Amino acid sequence: MIEVQSLSKKYGTKTAVDDISFTVQPGKVTGFLGPNGAGKSTTMRMVMGLDNPSAGHVTVNGRHYTQHRAPLREVGALLDAKAVHTKRSAYNHLRAMAATHGIPNRRVEEVIELTGLGPVAKKRVGGFSLGMGQRLGIAAALLGNPHTVILDEPINGLDPEGVQWVRHLAKDLAAQGRTVFLSSHLMSEMALTADHLIVIGRGRIIADAPIQTILDAQSTSRVRVRADRLHDLLNGLAAEGVTSQLFEPELVEITGVEPRRIAEVARREDVLIYELFPLQVSLEDAYMQLTQDEVEYQSQNMSDMNSISASSEGR
Amino acid sequence: MSTQTITPPTQTPQTAGHQNGSGITFARALRSEWIKFTTVPSSVILIATTVVVMVGLAALSAWSFTVLAQSDAQLPPDVQVPLEGPGSAAAMALTVSSSGLVFGQLLIASLAVVLIASEWATGMIRSTLVAVPRRSTALLAKALVVSVVAFLVGFVSALLSYLVSQPILGMENMSFSLTEDGVLRSIVNSGTYLALIALISVAIGILLRNTAGGIVTAVGVFFVLPLVFELISGLADWVTEAARYLPGQAGMEMVAITTSDGALTPLEGGLTMTAWALVLLIGALVVTKKRDV
Repeated sequence: MIEVQSLSKKYGTKTAVDDISFTVQPGKVTGFLGPNGAGKSTTMRMVMGLDNPSAGHVTVNGRHYTQHRAPLREVGALLDAKAVHTKRSAYNHLRAMAATHGIPNRRVEEVIELTGLGPVAKKRVGGFSLGMGQRLGIAAALLGNPHTVILDEPINGLDPEGVQWVRHLAKDLAAQGRTVFLSSHLMSEMALTADHLIVIGRGRIIADAPIQTILDAQSTSRVRVRADRLHDLLNGLAAEGVTSQLFEPELVEITGVEPRRIAEVARREDVLIYELFPLQVSLEDAYMQLTQDEVEYQSQNMSDMNSISASSEGR
Repeated sequence: MSTQTITPPTQTPQTAGHQNGSGITFARALRSEWIKFTTVPSSVILIATTVVVMVGLAALSAWSFTVLAQSDAQLPPDVQVPLEGPGSAAAMALTVSSSGLVFGQLLIASLAVVLIASEWATGMIRSTLVAVPRRSTALLAKALVVSVVAFLVGFVSALLSYLVSQPILGMENMSFSLTEDGVLRSIVNSGTYLALIALISVAIGILLRNTAGGIVTAVGVFFVLPLVFELISGLADWVTEAARYLPGQAGMEMVAITTSDGALTPLEGGLTMTAWALVLLIGALVVTKKRDV
């Protein structure tokens, strides 16, 4: 369990994290989603006691991270893959980390196996690919068999097999009742992995809800309809306050009413419907809508430049 | 590659962290730092270099003392330096064990700076402080490991220097025993001196968080600063007085065989240098506590 209360972080005049509060619950995967520079990593570093908050506070499993007697057994974190001395081997790096908590070498070998580092464990970390670095970071996070696992952009640089492995790992950890908090700027990845989503933009929480709720809230019930006498159908629906967009003589997209209601009206009006397809908003669309303000704000800041390219960059 | 198992599955994960003896202790932090110290190649290379340079310099200066004694003997009696007492070749020969210290200190200072500043250079410091979130514990453990190693390097190098130089000095009958006044103290304090050099350098490394800058600063403090004081000593009397309290100058009194007039005693010198080390180290810890990593 991670509890963040009114947390802020300012660097000079720039506010990286702006008075955010949220709770990460055990037993599920919580995604921390936001564009680059939104404040995800800063927040995670404050959780781990590396950065000092400008205001507010954060606890993990009931205490500030630095107050735990055995922090590695409480919380494991991958913050950045290259937080390792480049001349040291992966095995020795993990051994040195484990020694601080009296964690036996047996466990070091276990996490090396688990993360698939076996073949390169005795090699210097300096020669590692980004993907191998990520695996080493995850191995370090799991060393203490912690109840809370924090992974910052864990799939960066991983091959497809590795991406799938991280997905399974996160779900397995959550299924064991652990708190799993992972950040990403990729909405598609979150849709596959996370149960709960915290969306951050420009240092502020934009949304904090189960993934399905976020999708539902953003979808304004758009339905694609193929029917023989569309005109009659739309007339019948006119009283419901819908908007419609005609694509073909017998194909229309209706917004603002449930599919069931459309079918009911069709029966009353004696219209033959031969296709009725609810269009679900993808998480990607939902995310774009959520962060739209932030993006527009960005492009206004760059008003001297081509605003179209600026806004697409912001995305 | 296994994708399913996280072993062992915890029945009651909430209590996992609260088992007795599972947490951080200073001894464990030390052990971790020791593992880190022994698993980077630069440590071993710098230590070996230091020992070789210090013993080599001692052998060379032993040789030069014998040459001095020889040439002295050929001079007319009225310009000869005395065979005994201060200033004689035999008296100078007593300092042979610590003659490599001036260069040894630069190598140890570099080693200490590299060991601590590379944590920031490589990003390792974040792993270190996640494992040991109390920053003073983590940094003191490293400082202690580095200074104990520095002590052993200084002590062993001085002892080897003594042993290597005796046969050379023996050619002119200038060999001396360990029980001679101040000789053993000088050898032991060669270790103490390098340990304090290491502590000061670790503090500089923490404050600057930069390997190159840290080494330049340490060399500046131990090597260049005394030269500057020497150069400007003509300006005022207090300059010479103040120079005695520079960390390197004060510390060197610990290894001096004889204390010259007006100089600090070995104990005063040692305490002065220790004070420098403590002030810098405490300053470094206070600064680190407030910093983001």
